[in-house]
Amino acid sequence: MRKFLTVICVIISSSIYSQKTIPNVNLKTLDGKSVNIEDEVSKDKITVLSFWATWCVPCINELDIISEVYEDWQDETEVEIIAISIDDARTQKRVKPLINGKDWDYKILIDKNQELKRALNISVIPHVIILKGSEILYRHTGYAPGAENELYKKIKEFSK
Amino acid sequence: MKKILLFTVLLISAISFAQENSFFSVGFESNSQYYLDDEKTGDFLFPERFRSNNYLKVDYGINDFYFGVQLESYEPMALLNYSPGFNKTNLGLYFAGYKTEKLDITLGHFYEQFGNGLILRSWEDRQIGINNALRGARVKYSPTDFIHFTGLYGKQRIGFGVSDGDIYGFNSNINLTSFLKSENSTLNVGFSYVGRSQEKEPSNFEYNKLTNLFSSRLEFSKNNFYVNTEMVSKSKDAVILVNQIKNAKKGNAFLVNFGYSEKGLGIDATFRRMENMNIYSEREASGNVFNEAIVNYLPALTKQHDYLLTNIYVYQAQPQVSFQDPSLIKSGEIGGQIDVFYKIKKGTFLGGKYGTKLAVNTSFWYGLKGENDFQNFDFDNEFLGFGEKYFSDVSLEIRKKWNKSWNSIFYFVNQSYNKRYIEETNGKINANIVVAESTYRMGNGKSLRFEAQHLSTDDDKKNWVGATVEFNITPRLGVYVNDIYNYGNDVASKQIHYYNVGGSYSVGAHRFAVNYGRQRGGLVCVGGVCRFVPESTGISANIIMSF
Repeated sequence: MRKFLTVICVIISSSIYSQKTIPNVNLKTLDGKSVNIEDEVSKDKITVLSFWATWCVPCINELDIISEVYEDWQDETEVEIIAISIDDARTQKRVKPLINGKDWDYKILIDKNQELKRALNISVIPHVIILKGSEILYRHTGYAPGAENELYKKIKEFSK
Repeated sequence: MKKILLFTVLLISAISFAQENSFFSVGFESNSQYYLDDEKTGDFLFPERFRSNNYLKVDYGINDFYFGVQLESYEPMALLNYSPGFNKTNLGLYFAGYKTEKLDITLGHFYEQFGNGLILRSWEDRQIGINNALRGARVKYSPTDFIHFTGLYGKQRIGFGVSDGDIYGFNSNINLTSFLKSENSTLNVGFSYVGRSQEKEPSNFEYNKLTNLFSSRLEFSKNNFYVNTEMVSKSKDAVILVNQIKNAKKGNAFLVNFGYSEKGLGIDATFRRMENMNIYSEREASGNVFNEAIVNYLPALTKQHDYLLTNIYVYQAQPQVSFQDPSLIKSGEIGGQIDVFYKIKKGTFLGGKYGTKLAVNTSFWYGLKGENDFQNFDFDNEFLGFGEKYFSDVSLEIRKKWNKSWNSIFYFVNQSYNKRYIEETNGKINANIVVAESTYRMGNGKSLRFEAQHLSTDDDKKNWVGATVEFNITPRLGVYVNDIYNYGNDVASKQIHYYNVGGSYSVGAHRFAVNYGRQRGGLVCVGGVCRFVPESTGISANIIMSF
């Protein structure tokens, strides 16, 4: 156990100084097309990756509330939000009707067997990642009402 | 331990060379519990009151190469009811790979899914103690952007070791959309093969060492309409009941899903039939309670509910063969579910200022209908016959935003749960559950959420009532208290409160949570796969960190 803790400390401290980028992983579009996440992300604008699932209530709360102000956010910062569903085969079929039923305007991608989620070491959702190009600038886990304002503050700060 | 240190050294040296085209990610998760004696539910009767599951995963990529390891520590012991294979500290996963636009080669552990997972899915779920990663080699090749092939070989992870049986797999996905010459249509087809090879045990039944599973798929969409199908067949394999080979039978599965969606409206329907579809990387693992050595993914296709009382009677898919007694014979399931999502427009009478969102789900599952021969453990089922009813669930969810600070969710569920068939015990339950929750946003990131629930039934443990209050002091810091109370139980001493109080703090991608309370025993289900947890009382702490 002590060795385990030592290993953790060494790895975490070495990780703090390294620049973070997104990994080269393929995702699916709603039409079943395979795309690479690196190609889906704008090269010079801010992109937000929001990991969610149809069964995750806080995720849906967050995306619902942002969808009301998404147009304003885009006008002001040109940010693009990509909502990445980590639904597995049990609930994946629900993604398409749900997003239409909800009237969301996000680009939707599917992380079919959670490959991207795992490569980014995301344990729980909701999890948002702010990117410029493929560089990770900020990450956040969990959602409580009001967190969208903090997220937007970060987006504005990075889009300057 | 030497292995672990070696990997650490390698990683650190790799990282110190980190350059432009590199990728680096670290995740740490720790779930610990200190179990306490409880005057109502009894003393803690197992060794080690303090138990802890810990995972450290490191991913590193440079140019076209990628590497990863996962170190796991279950010390002094794993949490209650995890597989005894998760023991002490060891390297759980390791892999290295090379990936370009057309080619992706992985050596070591990998996760994979073919189609809907009906014939192959390896995945990890730490909450329910599943990690059935394959250890071997995988090659993915895409000669063009519309054709994708995967070939793999591996042994499945069990605890810190691997399965006795070997798994072979091939998958192809072909996107034929460009051949349709229609702008609003898409077409994908897929074909997969999985082979599981394991030496045979002596028996009177005829089956091969190698069991073959084939799957073919078709996905088509036009304008707002879509349809997907998958057909699966499994070759003759031993049917194992109570650790003995009782017969050898084929298996099959059929899935069709279709729907329609437009802005503000979505409809989705799924039908699935499965017969003798369990497949394990070791035959003798058949039906094991730790969900080890599972090759494929056969989740319950029902709505995944979000509330405590809606998760008491949770259906589990019944793909397996079971001959308990002449009146309790199972060889598969048939049924389906329908979802409707609808948004009532803003400005209408029912929509109000912000619109109202509705979600309806209904699911119904039955046993297969056919001739059963209890003496010979044999069955012969009709293709579209509905046998004994196992489960049904009808739910309606209404989400309503009243004004800038208030919004509410109303939830109604009717469940019918055939406990005799699902759990192979006794009884049938018909329950109605209502839930109401409201969130009040107080400004400055403060918010209050409360939730009231009631389950009414004349069966099993009778009525329950529950409530939750959650206060977010800031969007990062929250505390909660909840309680479910089985006030209707006929046995006065079983009228127990299952209360929990806790809090969580998140900063960036890190989250810390503590909880004290009494846990209701039963099934903990994630993604349609369930693990049985005993009743317990204690203090738990969870740490999640991502870098």
